[in-house]
Amino acid sequence: MNAIVANSASAALERYRALFEARYSASDALTAMRRSALERFISAGFPTQRNEDWKYTNLRRLESRNFTAGNAAPIAADEALWIPGAGTRIVFVNGHAMPGLASAVAHPPGVTILTLAAWIENDPAAVATFLAQHAGTAATAFEDLNTAFSQDGVVIDIADGVALDQPIYVVHQWAAGSSLQMSHPRIIVRVGRNSRCSIIEHYVGSPEAETFTNVATSLEIAAGAHLTHYRIQQESLRGFHVGNVRAHLGRDSHYANHNMALGASIGRVDIKASLSEPGAHVSLSGLFAPDGTQHLDTHTLVDHIAPHTTSEEEYRGVADGRGRGVFNGKVIVRKDAQKIDAQQSNRNLLLSATAEIDTKPELEIYANDVKCSHGATTGQLDSTALFYLRSRGLSEGDARALLIRAFAESILTSIGHEPVHKYLEQHLHERYAQIGAVT
Amino acid sequence: MLKIDNLHVRAGDKQILNGLNLQVNAGEVHAIMGPNGSGKSTLAQVLAGRDGYEVTQGTATYRGHDLLALPPEERAREGVFLAFQYPVEIPGVNNVYLLKAGLNAVRKHRGEPEVDAFEFLVLVREKMKLMQMDESFLNRGVNEGFSGGEKKRNEILQMAVLEPALALLDETDSGLDIDALRIVANGVNSLRRADRAIVMVTHYQRLLDYIEPDHVHVLSGGRILKSGDKSLALELEKRGYDWVKQEAAAA
Repeated sequence: MNAIVANSASAALERYRALFEARYSASDALTAMRRSALERFISAGFPTQRNEDWKYTNLRRLESRNFTAGNAAPIAADEALWIPGAGTRIVFVNGHAMPGLASAVAHPPGVTILTLAAWIENDPAAVATFLAQHAGTAATAFEDLNTAFSQDGVVIDIADGVALDQPIYVVHQWAAGSSLQMSHPRIIVRVGRNSRCSIIEHYVGSPEAETFTNVATSLEIAAGAHLTHYRIQQESLRGFHVGNVRAHLGRDSHYANHNMALGASIGRVDIKASLSEPGAHVSLSGLFAPDGTQHLDTHTLVDHIAPHTTSEEEYRGVADGRGRGVFNGKVIVRKDAQKIDAQQSNRNLLLSATAEIDTKPELEIYANDVKCSHGATTGQLDSTALFYLRSRGLSEGDARALLIRAFAESILTSIGHEPVHKYLEQHLHERYAQIGAVT
Repeated sequence: MLKIDNLHVRAGDKQILNGLNLQVNAGEVHAIMGPNGSGKSTLAQVLAGRDGYEVTQGTATYRGHDLLALPPEERAREGVFLAFQYPVEIPGVNNVYLLKAGLNAVRKHRGEPEVDAFEFLVLVREKMKLMQMDESFLNRGVNEGFSGGEKKRNEILQMAVLEPALALLDETDSGLDIDALRIVANGVNSLRRADRAIVMVTHYQRLLDYIEPDHVHVLSGGRILKSGDKSLALELEKRGYDWVKQEAAAA
């Protein structure tokens, strides 16, 4: 039995090798970089549940699928799928940049936006150097897979002292009928000293397609800079989504991440923030909302490397049907990283007897002058509140929907960008109007 | 308007109401008094439709309907209102949203059109004035961070907006200082009408100084042991409940 599993696993890995060999034959530094990432991925294999970090998430279904690289597919502009008025838009379809769908607005001064494909074409050695800095022993299996296969993506450079009034809105969209295609986009954002900007990553699926998105996002936030980062995952309910976000925070910089895990059949996001200089502050907030048979896993890691760094984290989970949510919030306070303030809270709501949420705060503290707090709760809708609303004339379905929305939407209160706030509010409204009515 | 006949109610294995009879007519104000644990709050909750109680015997008929067969929202839409002893805090749901949703649910049930935003605001402002609440309450979460007195005023505000035919006030006086009690009582009194009945459940006579009942009942051991007019409340205040129990036992 074990031999069969091992064989099918290695067969799956060999498929990736064959795809790689078919695509890359050059002998330049970038290809070598990709090849070594591929070899690391193949020798480690897809993570299994024996791996503590993947304890609750089974990837066998993902592993068994025979994906091919996403094809560039021309699509019509689809304003209905995009967030209206979100910002300076860049669109990727099946993983490929589609300049025709980008917003016509000229890039704001002080901002350079380059597609990864263009960067690779212009300066493959620089791409190899960049990836080398971000690969190596710390890379996860999926980051290695991304390095091996990433064809396109976006590199955003914000000069020093620039304040953008509009976010940069990056849409990754699957065209209808893109089943069994995969995409490994790479998003690189470098925010210069004392600059302020926002970026929105938005993943939109073709509803019925079995797709695989494996994105790696690298954020470098220089001293005094502020970056607000929205991540909205609405992939196909049959699709797979894996995301790895790494943020490096400089002195007195601020990073706020708002992570909305709404779509995909299996979704997994890792967000890692390194506070390597004093005064850095990170705030992580998010919602995971598995319905039906969705499985949505969020892992966060806040690494207090430098003293005088602060973090706050608030996550909520709402699971219905046979949905399964996983939240793992790890906080490390390094030796000598004194005067740390780290707060974390995770509150979860189960809407059915078959829904499940596994939550685990993990604190590793090696310094002594620190203030760390965490709390996690998982419960059902408050029956007294439900009765209260019904006693005022609201139907049971409406009362349920109202309470679920109130719970989920509380995570939106920290979202200051009105178009994103509105879009998510509308989404949750529709999502839970249906759930409320089912009863 | 409301006729309760031989009502027996159990919560878990505990028998709480034990053959309760009560008739309430339109225009009347009834006070149900009794010692702690006598079943007063259970009665109010059961009439409003709270689950967790089992009616083992008896009936409650409201305007010709079998009240106990209706889900809580149907009771509300038919004009039954419960002012909670402990109003629930619901962060994330606006007070004004709940008021409007409740009112529109009632209106829809009656075949009336929904109120528009402007009409509604005019109505709510008028009622808030009555309850001496300022407008900032509207956009706060339902009862969220309200003081005890503010919560009770909010209950009566909801009652004023929903205009029920039968209002059940569960320990509305508990936790109120004298000023808040006056405001609440004043609100309730202004809602007395010939086509509306009010049933107050209370432990203390104090509330009855402000809201004068037509009928006073003593509930003990899950049954109404004695009924009278407001002088009964004064007598209870003076003599306590034991003599009623003894009298009933002797009978």
